[in-house]
Amino acid sequence: MTSALRGIDPSRYVVHVGFLLIFALFAVVLKDDGFLTSTNLLNIAQQTAPVTVMAVGMVFVFTAGEIDLSIGSVVAISALIAATVMREYAWPLAVVAGLGTGIGIGLLNGALVAYARLPSFLVTLATMGLLAGVARWLTNLQSVPITQNLFNNLFGAGRLAGIPSLVFWTVAVVGIGHFIHRETRFGAHVHATGDNARAARAIGIRIEQVRLAVLVISATTAALAGLLYAGRLHGARYTLGETDLLTVIAAVIVGGTHLNGGIGTVTGALIGSLLMGMLNNGLILMGLSVSEQMMVRGLIILAAVALTLREPNR
Amino acid sequence: MQRRSLGPLALAALLAASGSSQAAPKPTSGPHGEAATPAAQLTLTPEQEAAVRAGGFTAALVWHTSSDYTTAVNAGAMDELQRLGIEVVAQTDAGFDAAKQMSDVETVMAKQPSLILSLPVDPETAPEAYAPAQAAGTTLVFVDNSPKGYVQGKDYVTVVSDDLAQMGAKAGQAMAQAIGGKGKIGYVFHDADFYVTNQRDHAFRQTILGEYPDITIAVEQGLADPARAEDIANALVTKHPDLDGIYATWAEPAELVLAALRNAGNTHTKIVTLDLSETLALDMVQGGNVAAIVADEAYAIGVGVARAGALGLLGQTVEPFYVVDALAVTSDTVRDGWNRSLHRDPPASLLEQ
Amino acid sequence: MTTPVLALEGVRKEFGGVVAIERIDLELHAGEIVALVGDNGAGKSTLVKIIAGIHPPTSGRIMMDGSPISFPNPRAAQEHGIQVVYQDLALADQQPVYMNMFLGSELVTGPFRRLNRKRMIAETETLVRELDVRIPSAKATIRELSGGQRQGVAIARATHRARKLVLMDEPTAALGVAETMRVEAIIRSLKERALAILLISHSLDQVFRLADRICVLRHGVQIGVKRSSETSSNEIVAMITGLA
Repeated sequence: MTSALRGIDPSRYVVHVGFLLIFALFAVVLKDDGFLTSTNLLNIAQQTAPVTVMAVGMVFVFTAGEIDLSIGSVVAISALIAATVMREYAWPLAVVAGLGTGIGIGLLNGALVAYARLPSFLVTLATMGLLAGVARWLTNLQSVPITQNLFNNLFGAGRLAGIPSLVFWTVAVVGIGHFIHRETRFGAHVHATGDNARAARAIGIRIEQVRLAVLVISATTAALAGLLYAGRLHGARYTLGETDLLTVIAAVIVGGTHLNGGIGTVTGALIGSLLMGMLNNGLILMGLSVSEQMMVRGLIILAAVALTLREPNR
Repeated sequence: MQRRSLGPLALAALLAASGSSQAAPKPTSGPHGEAATPAAQLTLTPEQEAAVRAGGFTAALVWHTSSDYTTAVNAGAMDELQRLGIEVVAQTDAGFDAAKQMSDVETVMAKQPSLILSLPVDPETAPEAYAPAQAAGTTLVFVDNSPKGYVQGKDYVTVVSDDLAQMGAKAGQAMAQAIGGKGKIGYVFHDADFYVTNQRDHAFRQTILGEYPDITIAVEQGLADPARAEDIANALVTKHPDLDGIYATWAEPAELVLAALRNAGNTHTKIVTLDLSETLALDMVQGGNVAAIVADEAYAIGVGVARAGALGLLGQTVEPFYVVDALAVTSDTVRDGWNRSLHRDPPASLLEQ
Repeated sequence: MTTPVLALEGVRKEFGGVVAIERIDLELHAGEIVALVGDNGAGKSTLVKIIAGIHPPTSGRIMMDGSPISFPNPRAAQEHGIQVVYQDLALADQQPVYMNMFLGSELVTGPFRRLNRKRMIAETETLVRELDVRIPSAKATIRELSGGQRQGVAIARATHRARKLVLMDEPTAALGVAETMRVEAIIRSLKERALAILLISHSLDQVFRLADRICVLRHGVQIGVKRSSETSSNEIVAMITGLA
């Protein structure tokens, strides 16, 4: 690399370029298929909201050099608890219960990782299974409908000035997440912990607290995603979030965050998540069969990951 | 199994049907208790077909997952839609995720289809999922289940399903035939609140109890978690080596029961199950433990929803609930069975035997 | 003579009955470089860890500016103005130079306590210029730097934070000749900042180039302390090995 290019990591911008390219491609190819209509574009933004919210949490976890596999189960259990509470009580209490569930699970994951010094992969793999079981058992596999319309509008299908509430949630979580991750001392400590935990500890950073905190953040965003799903569907179900883990991981990594820690970007994860949503949307609108959609999506993600993670010095 | 969504009334149906344990199997009824009409009665007159062709209609197929079953339903729908001159503009697979299915409906609406054929993942939350289509006046036809609170004839055309009770009953008859009308059998049922399997299992049990007094169900084994099917199968075969037959609630656990019997060197216990599987059929044509596999006419379901959709587009009203026939496939009828159920020839391995 | 910045008085360290350091008496003055030499296992690293607050001494006293003091943990040592440059650098490779410089004590600004990158970058640039650490930019990430540049950053960071004493454990062990020269120039320049420096090095040439005094350890025993100007390589080698 020439010295002029030092300090600029080209891999950080691949996702932006890739996003624009695919957007342009769909815009041309699907010109007459409604891709570019404002309804469809807002749909993509709405549909990706829960994944984006979880991706923001996962960026913190990856940056700290950890992983959280339990987010999908947290989605289901938080949504179910909120929906169940809402049968009897007002929705604000249900929101507190849902988010509180997430925070509690995050504390459990975090304590086991930070203080019992167990690998986050194994801890969250275990809690993922445990919580999935609890979610099934809790409601006997039944859906729990939500009839409190204020909740449904606030977390799901509502709109303000023509903009869906899910878009507001996305913007808020991405904005706050970006600020904390990039602009605060805590964010710097998350980076240092994931980059070189020994060095971080030697310099006086309390890496246990950092590890605990990132897992709490991740579980809390997953709980919020659960509320968003519940608001959107006007109900909760044990299968919510079941398939989201891999989408979240793909969005985060395609967005330029490294699985090994030390490097991450919240805005990249947003683009990554929108890219995943746009792929789903565009490939359906192309009229491809389900198998064709899966193959094309896999190839595009592979290409994006290869470009993002290729290390120029290796 | 895992091929269809939970039925909201399954428990109620189960309770209602189990009022008398000696009763004959209850005929299949719709998810809301609708009387069943044979799907073969769904036909279009030549004038109606011409009107559909002239209409320039489009359709989107919004499925719940991908499987042999959906592939066959999808093929039936695609073929029939093509025959009727209705263009398929989008196909989706929700992977059993109610939220994904909602997104899929939103997405396909960008193509403004005149018709959506779909199997709702979760009837409870489905009203929200199909709301954009309903708002746009899109004609809806469902497989198996309809969204909670939707009114047939107003919100959707009809529901087309397989005849679950008939499948269970045919499995019972096939079992009786396989073991010569008398003996001891094991009954491996799906121990979860699952509309499809519950009705089939129940009908099997009622058929044996009601029609075959010389057959006793010596052991009833619930299967709550498919992942544990192998342990259950092994334990069952080890504890009860003398069973004449074992009923397994669907093909996957049946494959594990078969593996357990083979491990134990057991060649006399017969297996009867539901849903076509190449592994099981191969054992059957080779004269192994598998005696019969009961299947539904999945392809015909696809044809049925397509026709119902076409009639709906013309403003015709139809019956609220249609069913297709079930068939018991044995070693002699493999080719016919595959064609009737899935509308294709069986895998080559089965024809070489 | 002025009061020493750090004085070790009869410091002894045992690990479960095994004597790692028998007895050390040593004074470090501001603006002075003292080298600690000895074979592997002589007790050099143990001594550094005692001063850095990682191990408490079994007996003996540590005095700073004339008053006795004890360090229950590394943070306490840091709070008393002591910094360590470790052999493995303790830098976060994927972060920029300025973030490493301020790691754990980042500067913030405004009501939201936002990171003050501008000021951290400016201060880093001033510091590396003063120490003549030649790096492309304060915004460069550590992994883009050469070994010598990294060591320069690590030393600059320790210097920036240390008010009293910098401990250096083999600061040039992994470096080539030219880079070693640069790092030595940086170390020499620290004397002007009135810091005391305790240097561990295997290279006697380096020790003679840098140190004002040389303290020799053998098997945990303090063999002697010599002024570099009053001794020779041969004498130090003899003290290290015990062979006259």
